[in-house]
Amino acid sequence: MKTAPAPGTGTDNTTAALTVTDVTVRFAGLTALDGVSFTVEPGSVHAVIGPNGAGKSTCFNVLSGVYRASAGTVHLGTTELTGLAPHTIAGLGVARTFQNLALPPHATVADSLLLGRHRLTRSGFIATGLRLPSAAREEKRHLDRVREIAEFIGLEKALERPAGSLPYGQQKLVELGRALCMEPRVLLLDEPIAGMTADERRRTASVVANVRDSLGISIVLVEHDMGVVMRLADAVTVLDFGRRIAGGTPAEVQNDPAVVQAYLGAPE
Amino acid sequence: MSDTTAEAAPLVTTAPAPGGAESFTDRLRRPRTYAVLIASVLLLALPFYLDRFWLQAGLFAMAAAIGAIGLNMLTGATGQLSMGHAFFLAVGAYSYCILAGESSTENGHALTGLGLPTWLAAILAVLLAGAAGGVFSPIAGRLRGAYLGIATLALIFIGQHILFNAGSLTGGYNGRAVPPLSLFGFTFDDTEVVVAAVPFGSSEKLWYVGLVALLLAALFARGVLRGRPGRAMNAIRDHRIAAGVMGVPVARYRAGVFVLSSMYAGLAGVLLALVFQRTVPEYFGMILSLEYLAMIVIGGLGSVAGAVVGAFFVSLLPQVLTHYSDSLPLVSAPGTGGLAPGEASRYLYGAAVVAVVLFLPGGLARLGIALPRVTRPKKSGEK
Amino acid sequence: MTTFIELLLGGLSIGSVYALIALGFVVIFKATEVVNFAHASLLLAGGYVTAVLHDDIGFWPALLVGIAGAASVGAAIEFFVMRRYRGSDHSVLAIVTIGVDILLITELTRRMGTDVLALGDPWGNEVVQIGGITLAQTRIAAFLAAGLLITVFLLAFRYTSWGVSMRAAAENPQTAALMGIKLGRVSLAAWAVAGALAAVAALFLTVFPTPGLERATSLAALKAFPAAILGGLDSTTGALAGGLIVGVTESLATGYQSDLSFLGRGIGDLAPYLVMVAVLLIRPAGLFGTKELARV
Repeated sequence: MKTAPAPGTGTDNTTAALTVTDVTVRFAGLTALDGVSFTVEPGSVHAVIGPNGAGKSTCFNVLSGVYRASAGTVHLGTTELTGLAPHTIAGLGVARTFQNLALPPHATVADSLLLGRHRLTRSGFIATGLRLPSAAREEKRHLDRVREIAEFIGLEKALERPAGSLPYGQQKLVELGRALCMEPRVLLLDEPIAGMTADERRRTASVVANVRDSLGISIVLVEHDMGVVMRLADAVTVLDFGRRIAGGTPAEVQNDPAVVQAYLGAPE
Repeated sequence: MSDTTAEAAPLVTTAPAPGGAESFTDRLRRPRTYAVLIASVLLLALPFYLDRFWLQAGLFAMAAAIGAIGLNMLTGATGQLSMGHAFFLAVGAYSYCILAGESSTENGHALTGLGLPTWLAAILAVLLAGAAGGVFSPIAGRLRGAYLGIATLALIFIGQHILFNAGSLTGGYNGRAVPPLSLFGFTFDDTEVVVAAVPFGSSEKLWYVGLVALLLAALFARGVLRGRPGRAMNAIRDHRIAAGVMGVPVARYRAGVFVLSSMYAGLAGVLLALVFQRTVPEYFGMILSLEYLAMIVIGGLGSVAGAVVGAFFVSLLPQVLTHYSDSLPLVSAPGTGGLAPGEASRYLYGAAVVAVVLFLPGGLARLGIALPRVTRPKKSGEK
Repeated sequence: MTTFIELLLGGLSIGSVYALIALGFVVIFKATEVVNFAHASLLLAGGYVTAVLHDDIGFWPALLVGIAGAASVGAAIEFFVMRRYRGSDHSVLAIVTIGVDILLITELTRRMGTDVLALGDPWGNEVVQIGGITLAQTRIAAFLAAGLLITVFLLAFRYTSWGVSMRAAAENPQTAALMGIKLGRVSLAAWAVAGALAAVAALFLTVFPTPGLERATSLAALKAFPAAILGGLDSTTGALAGGLIVGVTESLATGYQSDLSFLGRGIGDLAPYLVMVAVLLIRPAGLFGTKELARV
């Protein structure tokens, strides 16, 4: 397994803690998140687990700016993310993948990955329309980086294929690659290994570990596969019905009676 | 890694990069190069052989193609529906007349004109169309898809209202005459110039203006669609939320594409005005907007080639039917009680819109892969 | 003051007709997420059938056949066109309805030519005087009929199994399908209902003081679009409010045209669109529309 390729110069990779404080989200009378707080330490893998409907995806949507929190704040370092538009949050270095694929089916893998470079590139309508040399140079430079990342996640052979033609697991890898292409400081992974073959699972898990170890990116992980969570995570937050019911190291959480109860139902 | 480079090379050629482009000999081996070469020669030679009717028809089609490319960037590539294209065509056409025309009295109407050099007027007209699009951008940026389609209906009615009421600028019901374009002292009007024993009138001369304008418009659009903005636009179309999360400022992009497509419509409007030699308000009604939408669907959504193919199909169809109405079954000359060519062509392209969406996703341009494209499979942006 | 009240009442009456059209439009959107640009031609089709038949079979039977006709045209569009689309892009489907619209409008205007067709309604040009206010009988009939139909519709939407399945399909198609709701049937019904409502509206768009059914009727029908979108495309309440706002705006702008002459002739036709633009600038989702909630 190769180590993760270091990003080119010019990207801000200083790590910062992601702090979620008392976040509440309500939709039309339904409380999806209720005063949830946790902190993702810089350069760690932080898993958010819980039964279906616990509010994990809502939490991701707040972190990435898709939903607005009704109350509470999210900070990256000292910058407040709450209330910012998704593209501004992306610009600050927060990348995410989606639980259900969000890949344009007809675009090639290379194009999908290049989309991840959007925030790092500048060519606009005029530069690309007039085919200015600056646009061509930029494209080439970033395509080189895209190839490195594709190789890192094992998709270098599929670059020219439409993303929609790949098997499901590989499409999820493309999404992961696209998020990595953003050279993020924080990576939000929403069930990255669901629907994958055993082989793809191993590959993804090692990619995730490698990203943390060699790039120092903080990772927030929503995942149902407890084996993977326990192996990868440095810290775990457990949600149930929109509330944080437990938190700590994987070992602590595993033995927490509240967690066992949430997963298996009430003892009586 | 080496095989990756080989596979990825074609991707680089899409935006001809130094060092990434195909070699000259490679190009010579492609049948497509020859097809393009033959087509270019043919297009350049046509004014020597075709009569005025067909040249005019061709020029309409070229103008339509420019407008359709703009609309296809908005609707096809970004997924934003617009019914307001006719409005921006009108802005381009009328701005040109106002900027280039002299103040005069026509049919009892006092007409205002600034008398600017015509080439400058043409450029300013395109910019004005873009500015008009910019004024609408608070709505164009925030509304998505079909919502925008309905909102832009307003533009048609606003446009018609202004065209009929602002008589001193637009000439009202009668419209206004279009000053012929002049470039470097050469005027594209009906004063005859004989080239190789063929008398060149305005149509023959404008033919080359149209070709150059279409070529430049197409190349620019291709660059945009295959580059960074094109990827962002497609992302907005395919998955708006994901696009935002990837760092694409969705509203700003929608507004930007709307302005760009308005400028394309403006350029098409200028060219149409030059070909018509007279602008009339009725032309820029809702039917025109519908025709443009029909063009991009029939040709193929999201690609430059699709827009061009569709524009030629929709705008040449009535001409062909008119010309051959005698020899075609079912179609008869207008006013004789049978199926008029205009109606017949509307049936045909209305049906074509439905048929293409249901049975030929990708449009006619996808069929037209008679030009073998061996080396480069489809790129994103065509859908 | 009398003028104002007359204009207001006239506006509410025509507005209720717009609401009727907009309601059908919103129903199709809710059930299938398709923006139906062929709605105006659906209306024209219903009106045309009534106009052609009323001499032979009498007004009321002709109206019923017209309603049935427009409903079957709507259902046919759904069955033969919309249902065959295999993609998932709703913008593309909206463009398909434009293709259908081109076909229908071409056919109908070719049949109608430049004629103005009467629909043979029983109200003629009778007027009613109430306390110094003059109102055409047709306006009163329009208001009552539209009000009745809208009430019946909303009750059905709320309480019948058809309404429940429609709302469920609008809420979440996948889940609705899993619960045994036949989405095809729901969308077929939506199109048929929309067609029927449009046919009734066609009658009231063409009665006195309008000369009759003509090509321009489709332009009048088009005003249901700004009505639907300024109310909020996914809201039946919005369709009603939007229809009334459009009707009143149009009526007042037309009535006070001479005072608004600096805005140019025909401002009444433009006013609804200007109001729509103004509303959208402030509320992009319309007055009663829900802000889109992303499902990711």
